[in-house]
This record gives sequence, structure tokens and C-alpha cells, in this order.
Amino acid sequence: MRLAPGERLLSTDGLLVGYDGAAILPPLTMTIGAGELWAVIGPNGSGKSTFLRTALGLVPPVGGKVERRAALRLAYVPQQATLDTIFPISVVDFVLMGLQGASNVTLLSRGANLARAQAALDEAGARALERRQLRDLSGGQRQRVLVARALATDADLIFLDEPTNALDAAAEHQVLELIERLRAKRGAAVVMVTHLVEDGLERADRALLLDRDHGVALSSTAAGMHALPEFVHIYGRFIGRGEATP
Amino acid sequence: MSGAGAGPTWAELWANLAIFKDAIWVGGLAGALLGAIGVHVVLRRMVFASSAIAQAAALGVALSFWIAALVDPTGHAAGHAAGPAAHVAPSLLFEPVLWAIAASLLATLVFVANPVHLHLTRESLLGFVFLASGAGAVIVGDKITQEAHDLAAILFGSAVVVQHSDLVLVASATVVLLGGHLVLWRALLFAGYDPMGARVQGMPVRPLNTFLFLSVGLSVALCTRALGALPVFAFSVLPAMTALALTARIGLVFVLATLLGAVSGVGGYMVSFKGDLPVGATQTATAAALLTAALVWRFARARYERRARTSN
Repeated sequence: MRLAPGERLLSTDGLLVGYDGAAILPPLTMTIGAGELWAVIGPNGSGKSTFLRTALGLVPPVGGKVERRAALRLAYVPQQATLDTIFPISVVDFVLMGLQGASNVTLLSRGANLARAQAALDEAGARALERRQLRDLSGGQRQRVLVARALATDADLIFLDEPTNALDAAAEHQVLELIERLRAKRGAAVVMVTHLVEDGLERADRALLLDRDHGVALSSTAAGMHALPEFVHIYGRFIGRGEATP
Repeated sequence: MSGAGAGPTWAELWANLAIFKDAIWVGGLAGALLGAIGVHVVLRRMVFASSAIAQAAALGVALSFWIAALVDPTGHAAGHAAGPAAHVAPSLLFEPVLWAIAASLLATLVFVANPVHLHLTRESLLGFVFLASGAGAVIVGDKITQEAHDLAAILFGSAVVVQHSDLVLVASATVVLLGGHLVLWRALLFAGYDPMGARVQGMPVRPLNTFLFLSVGLSVALCTRALGALPVFAFSVLPAMTALALTARIGLVFVLATLLGAVSGVGGYMVSFKGDLPVGATQTATAAALLTAALVWRFARARYERRARTSN
């Protein structure tokens, strides 16, 4: 079912993220609405992963609160590097994982779910790869399959961790186009953690700037991000001279 | 089964099958159970855990002998006299299999624990468990001369016959644990391959991991008591490696590993009988030979495919 545009999916109120009871970023208040594309940007070690884990509900907040819409379906697209290549996982088996969850832990009836997995692969333009091993694919092909699993989950809110990391320009373009389609067609919200600041801001509606070292946790429209003094302070010398990757 | 001269014949094995059949069954069942579970052990890179748990189980058995002799010397001596082929525990409290399970589960806890606050890695703690258990078993073994043979059998798997109770325990564990793994294999795979993605989708990752670690601990404990630490470690690693070398279809990997484990257990016993060699060593060598053959086949196939690609 298509979500109503702007419907509140996840909101934070004075959220403090961190570990061992210590916050690493200032309090953060934001709302993610259906159909929105968010870019979470910040230098390495800025707290992006900690924010991601907290928003996903994997670690508790140090303070403040995170509210999720009732029965919110979440999906997470991991960084490619975190998937161990020793596992012999076929493309279709990987996408089938997207159909597992609290109500279908065992996924014993593979046949019944196969059509859904294949439809997701079709949507991601990766159906031809169905029988290949995930570890044998190129970076761009693998990223399309990772997004296909998120499509199979039929999630309302999808978090992508560095989806364009280590991709060449053509593959990066394809993946970003696929992410655009993902939200346009389904009305899902997409939160993309990325180090590609300019690309991220160009495509996103909203942006979240995090920087632990400078004590920054700011959300704004993507277009308005360039005007923020904190953004200029962190990225100013890089913007306009190629990609911003301090 | 050791000694010089011409080896026994198959007719002799058949004629004495009543004596050996429990041991053959245990070898096959343990190989199948550990072979299937071993796929997760190998894929999750916890091979060393299996070795350390098996060693801890051996120490547990040694302690059951020694402490029984210290606490209840009369009952212990009577138990020993009653079971010349295999030690009989003076009471349930000193039942070796219970001590093996307790020691295995303690070692499993070390694996589950996260020692990052101690600035140590999990592997280093497992190294500690392996070394402390190995040294402990040898030291305790030195104190219990009456059961020295039993202890050697547990450490190296040289027992020719097994107690019927061991067969019952290993068979029960195989049915229950293999059944659980059959139902949960995809869930365990997801939890091991992409734990964060699995948690986000609401998979019970922690209970799944607990089931896996408990099933490793229990199966290793029961099989170590029956077969010995060496073949148990071999069965929990080598059949899975062989299956992974033969195919990349994950469902087939589990089926092959189960079958290859059973073949190693039964085949190794046959080799031991025919060659008049120690059982645990031949079961381990059989599993290793199957892996070697699979690796050679894979290497040859990769070479052939490379040549075919370059010639096209």
C-alpha cells in the first residue's frame, strides 16, 4: 500500500546518541516523512553509524526519544564490505532474506516466496543475476541486489549505509537512480548515509549533518544545508573543488 | 584395534557386528550431527571454538573420574571393578557425560562473552580455554591411573566400543538438534551473515545465536564423551569445509556436510577395523582425505575453466 506523502514515519525529540551512557552528539530533533529522501552526511567518525543504529532501534538512545509510526516496516541495506564473502549466498537467497522477520523466522516455504523475491530483482534490474553468487558480482551489481532485498521487504522506511561506496561513476549513477525509483514508486522514505556530500545533497530533500568533533547535529532541507555556517565550516574548502570528502 | 600382523577381515567384522554396531552408529550419527552444525561453525569463523569446547569436554570427563575417586573412593573402586571395559560412575553426580556437558557449556559461555572490556579478543580467550583444558586433562589424567586408558580414548578417540547409553544420548541429540537445525537453517544463516539486517527485520538474532552455541556445546560434549576430542573436532570442521569446496549452493552444502560427516564416521571406523588402527585417528584421516580430494577436484576444475575461457 502506498503511503500518504509526508506521513510521519519516524521522529526524534532531543535525541542523544552515544554509548556507555555518554552522548557523542548534541540533541537532535527531526521528523522523517513518507516519500522523503534524506542524506546523512558527516566526516569519518562523525557519529553517522551510531545515529543509524539508534534510529534503527539496535541501540538505545542515551537521552531523548525516538518515535516510530505503529507497525512501521524498516529495512536496512548494509555496506557491501560488511558481508563476509566466505558465505556462499546466491542472489535469490539473499533477496529471500528480505522476506524473513518476526512473523516468518524460518522461511521454510521458499517456493511461495520465490515470486516476491524475483519481482524485487526485476524491479532492481537484477533478475538476470538470480542464480549468481553475491560474492562474484561487481560492486554495482551487488549494490542493486542489496537494494532488491530492501524492495522485497516492502518497507516503509529504508536505511542505506554508504550505498555508493567503492562504485565507479556509472554504477554510482545507476544505484542512485534506483534509490530515486524506490521512493517515487512506493512512497517509502529513504535515509542514505553517504560520504558523497555533493551527490547526496543534490538528490535528497532533507539532510542531516553530523560531526562529533565540532559538536554538530543539524537537520535542514538539502538545498538549505549549503547556507549553514556549520556546513561551510566543515566542508567549505572542499565544495566546488570536486567531491567533499575531508 | 592395534597390533601387528595381517588385519582382520570384513567377515570378522560382520560376524562380530553385535559388538561393534553401537560404535559404528555413534560414529555415523556424530559425524552427521557435527557435519551439519559445522557449516555454521566454519562460516562464522568459530572453528577454534569447537576445538576448545571439545578439549573442555575431555577435561570435564577427566574431572568426573578424579573427583569421584577423591570424594567417594570406595564407590569409585566398585564402579571401576563393575565396568572393566568402560568406567561405571558411582552415582549420577559423577556421571562423566554430565561433567562433559557442564565443562562444554562453560567453554561455550566464554565464546558468547564479549571480552572487549578486558582488552582481549574472543580468540585469545578460546586459546586460553583450549590450553588450560588440555593441560588440565593431562594433569588430572596423571592422577587417575585406573582410568588412564579411558581418558586417552576420550582425548584421542581410540575407543573401539562405546557404551550403549552413549549411543542413546548421541542418537537423541542428533534427532533433537539436527531437527532444530533443519527448521532454523535459513534463520541461523541470516543471523550469521547479516546480523544487523536480521535484527532490523525483527529476527530473534540473540535467541538464534544462543541456540547455535548451545547446540555446538551440547553436541560436542556428548560426542566427545562417546568418540573423543580429536574426531569430534574433525567432524565439526572438515565435512563442512569439504561441502563448501564441492558446491556453492548453500542448501546443498548443509546436505553434503551431513552426509560427508556420516561417511567419515562410519568409513573411518571401517578403515580402523581393516587396518587395525586407532579409530579416532582413522575417522579424522577419512574426513581429511575427503577434504583433500574435494580441494584437488576444485583446483582441477578451476584450472580447466580458466583454460576454457582463455581458449574461447
